Amino acid sequence: MVRQRVVVVGASIAGVTVVDELRRRGFTGELTLVGDDPHPAYNRPALSKGFLSGTDTLASITLPALSCEVDQRIGATAIGLDTDRREVLLADGDRLPFGRLVIATGARARTMTDLGAADPGAEESTFRDVADARDLRDRLVDRPRVVIVGAGILGMELASTCAAAGSAVTVVDRQPPLRAQLGRFLSDLVVEAATAHGVTLAHHPAGVRLRGSGTPAAELADGRRFDGDLVISAVGCRPDVEWLAGSGLVTDGDLRIDDRCRVAAGILAAGDVAAFPGDHGHRRTPWWTSALDQARTAAATLLDDDAGAPLVPSPYFWTEQFGITLRVCGPLPVRGRPTVVAGSPAEGLLLTWPDGRDGATAAAVNRRIPISRLRALTRATPSDPPMEARR
Amino acid sequence: MRLTIDRDRCEGYGLCADSAPELMHLDDDGELVLDHEDVPAPSSAAAETAVRVCPVAALRAD
Repeated sequence: MVRQRVVVVGASIAGVTVVDELRRRGFTGELTLVGDDPHPAYNRPALSKGFLSGTDTLASITLPALSCEVDQRIGATAIGLDTDRREVLLADGDRLPFGRLVIATGARARTMTDLGAADPGAEESTFRDVADARDLRDRLVDRPRVVIVGAGILGMELASTCAAAGSAVTVVDRQPPLRAQLGRFLSDLVVEAATAHGVTLAHHPAGVRLRGSGTPAAELADGRRFDGDLVISAVGCRPDVEWLAGSGLVTDGDLRIDDRCRVAAGILAAGDVAAFPGDHGHRRTPWWTSALDQARTAAATLLDDDAGAPLVPSPYFWTEQFGITLRVCGPLPVRGRPTVVAGSPAEGLLLTWPDGRDGATAAAVNRRIPISRLRALTRATPSDPPMEARR
Repeated sequence: MRLTIDRDRCEGYGLCADSAPELMHLDDDGELVLDHEDVPAPSSAAAETAVRVCPVAALRAD
């Protein structure tokens, strides 16, 4: 078993899980966890759901502290990596030597400014961490007009919660809500529900631009302008890899790992920061369960001296918005019409989209089903002729 | 330490049961069953891991 000092950079769910897993697997060497967030790790998916709506508090979504033996440098920021001397450089000037390193620095909100789609001086907020969530929760008290750029999962969850809080909400994007991620069938369900909740939806394939003069505003390529008291950009996240500049580990902005979460000799990565290899090249999979899977794989790889089992991802995500509770197992995006396995729109649906090989993506819409059974549908080959979903 | 499940939230994902099989399991229907609500001291770290990994913050240890 490895005995060298292990340094884990990043103290959200991926980094904390790596540490926990190393100790639970019997690692007895020196272990240091570096994290720049002053808050203890929390359940991030809850921020745009229960925390923003007020049914959850920071206490109820804060993860249990690590009780194992670990040198925790909370509030410390890693600003550089010296791969020759094998040291992590901290903002306070300290250098942390490591035998093995796990990079779990996560991601930050991407902005329209990052994308070159904002005029100088354009106002935009983002929603990524607990401070963002508190800011928005406080602002919603005054029922501001909210314009959300980005009709993906986060953008639509925010729209749902803002609308429920009494705000007039507009969501703009290149395409209809969740179309790119979930396909037309589920997108149409969400559009119907969002519209019924009074949300204005607008899209244009040539995109959106934030305007810099007057009230905060987003403008579609056809000139339609939407003014708000605040504009929230929900246009994805970007990996926190700036501190790795000059390390030679970053390729085209990606920190690429292999299927055992290795970046380079003795250096591993897990969670939102890491780009995992798949059919379409390396892609980040910034979801909760993906972070856990990668963290556990990284710990196993580290301890078993690279002989651990490779990670076979089993993607899973869920969302709650506009009265729709949606659980999805399997690869995304899906294409075409789903097969209805059970149910109806009124009583809840179980749907599958065969992937053309031996698997499928399975979704439960407003239907309670243990995830193990939903996952089983991703492996099933239907024996009956499929019944197409019609709406 | 005492474990509680929020049944309205629990999706039966099973990450907790993977983390603390000595404390909980998924039944044949895939529903989570707590075998030890009062956590024996040697299992407290496992209980904390189980709480931590829950995607929907449905499990609590107090």
